[in-house]
Amino acid sequence: MNMITEFLTYPFIQRAFLASLMVGVLCPFVGNFVVLRRMSFFSDAISHSAFAGIAVGALLGIDLSLSSLIVAILVSILIAFLSEKTSLSHDTVIGIAFSGAIASGMLVIGKLKGYRVDIFSYLFGDILAITYTDLLFLFIISLLSIVILLFFSKPLLQITFNRDLARVEGINVRLFEYLLFFIIAVVVTVSLKIIGIILVTSLLIVPAAAAKNLASSMKHLFSLSCVFGLVSGIIGLIASVYLNTASGPTIVLVSIGIFFLTMLKRQRLT
Amino acid sequence: MNALSVENLCVKADNRHLIENITFSVEEGRIIAIIGPNGAGKTTLIKAILGLIPYSPGSVLLFGHSMKHANSRSGVGYVPQKLEFDRTFPLTVSELLAFTVPPIYSFPFIRRKGEKKHISELLEIVGVQELEDRSIGSLSGGELQRVMIAKAIVNDPKILFLDEPASGVDIEGQERFYDLVKRLNKEKGLTVILISHDLNVVYRFADSVLCMNRRLICTGRPAEALTDEVIKTVYGEMMGAYIHSCHEHD
Repeated sequence: MNMITEFLTYPFIQRAFLASLMVGVLCPFVGNFVVLRRMSFFSDAISHSAFAGIAVGALLGIDLSLSSLIVAILVSILIAFLSEKTSLSHDTVIGIAFSGAIASGMLVIGKLKGYRVDIFSYLFGDILAITYTDLLFLFIISLLSIVILLFFSKPLLQITFNRDLARVEGINVRLFEYLLFFIIAVVVTVSLKIIGIILVTSLLIVPAAAAKNLASSMKHLFSLSCVFGLVSGIIGLIASVYLNTASGPTIVLVSIGIFFLTMLKRQRLT
Repeated sequence: MNALSVENLCVKADNRHLIENITFSVEEGRIIAIIGPNGAGKTTLIKAILGLIPYSPGSVLLFGHSMKHANSRSGVGYVPQKLEFDRTFPLTVSELLAFTVPPIYSFPFIRRKGEKKHISELLEIVGVQELEDRSIGSLSGGELQRVMIAKAIVNDPKILFLDEPASGVDIEGQERFYDLVKRLNKEKGLTVILISHDLNVVYRFADSVLCMNRRLICTGRPAEALTDEVIKTVYGEMMGAYIHSCHEHD
C-alpha cells in the first residue's frame, strides 16, 4: 500500500492514473455501440488506419496525433460510403481498408530515414509518457463524445436494434451512422497514445462485452461497462507498477480477466 | 378520404420487376389484407410504400402527402416481418418503447414521469403491462408481437403496416393478436395494411383484400374478390378447396 501511495506522489503516475480513469470510461462507453452493432473489426481497421496516418505525419513533418486523426476519420467515412454504395459486404470493405492502411503505413515508414521511436511508441502506447496537454485533450474529447452519444442515444440505439424501424420512424439513419463512425474514429485515435494501436480495440470491446454478459437493460449495460473499464484501468495500472510490466497490456489483461469472470457468472445464471 | 393511394408502383432489382404497376387505394379507417404466394412481392410492396426501398416509376400518397416528407412518416406505425435482432441485446421492453417516445433527442436513462406513464398505458392497451421490465430477448413470439404493436402506436399513428405480424405465433396467440388489431382499428380509427398468408384471418378481420403476384390480381371485399378462380390462380387447386371451407364457416 505504501508503495502505491509513494508512486502516486510522482506527477507522471498521477497523469497516468487520470488518463486510465478517462480512457477506462470513454472506451467502454463507445465500445457498447461497437459491441451491439458487431463492428469490432471496424474499430480494428480504424486503429490500423491511424497507423498509416502516423506514418504520413512523420513523412510530412506534421503533428502525429493530428495526422492519425485525419486519416482515421477519412478511412471511417470511406468504409461507411463503400458499404452503403456498393454490393460489397461490410466486413469485406473493412478488410480491404484494414490491409490497405497497414500496407500504406509500412510503405511510408520504409521511406523514412532512421529509427523513429515516436512512431513505434504509438504501436504499443505509453501511458506513463502522457503530458498535461494530452490529458486536457483526452478530457475534452471524452466529455464531448459521451455527451453527444448520450444525447443521440435514442436514435443510435434504435438504429442498432433495427434499421428499418428507425427509418420508418423518421430517423436519418445515414447521418447518425456517420456520426457514430466519426466518434469511434476520434476515440480510437485519442486512445492510441495510451493503449497503443495493437490493443486499443481490446479496451473498446472487452469491458463492453463483459458488461453484455451480465446486463439485462441498456442502463445496466452502459453503467457496468464503464465500471469494468475503470476497474481494469486502475487495477491494471497498479499491477503494472508492482510487476514492472507495460501498462497498456496489463490493463487489457485485467479487463480480459473480468470478461472471463462475467462469462462464468453468465453460465451459472443460465 | 383515402388513407393510402398507390399508383403504378414498380420496383426493380437487377433489371427484373419485383412488382409491376400496382395501383390501389385504401379508405381511412379500413383494414386491408394483402395476400399472394411466396415471392409475390408483398413485403417489397410495403417496403416501397414506407420508403425503405426505392421505386420507379410510381407514386405513394399517405393522407394526400408523399411519404418522402418527414411529416407523413410521423403518422405511420410499422411491425416488420420476423423482426431480426440479437436475442442477447440487453434491452427491456420499456427501453425499447422509450426509443420512440418524444423527445427523441434527450438524455436517456433519466426517465421522465410522463414517459413512464405513456409506456405503461401503451402496454396496458396491448395487454402486456407485466412485461415492462422484461428483456426483449426473453419474450415469446406472441408477447414480442404485442410489444411491437405497442411500439408502432407510441406516437398515435393514423395508419399501421403489419407484415405477417403473427407468423410463428401459436393459434391462440394469433387470435388474441388479430382481436387487438381489430380493437385498435375500431377504437382509434386506425387504418391497417396487413400482409397475411392465412385466408381465415383475411375473411374474419379484413374489410377488403388485395391479391397480388408481382402484379395486382384483384381487389375488393374478401367474399367477392377471392373467387375460386382467383384462389386457384394464385395458390393452386388445393387452396381452392380450402377456401370453400372458409366461406362455409363464415
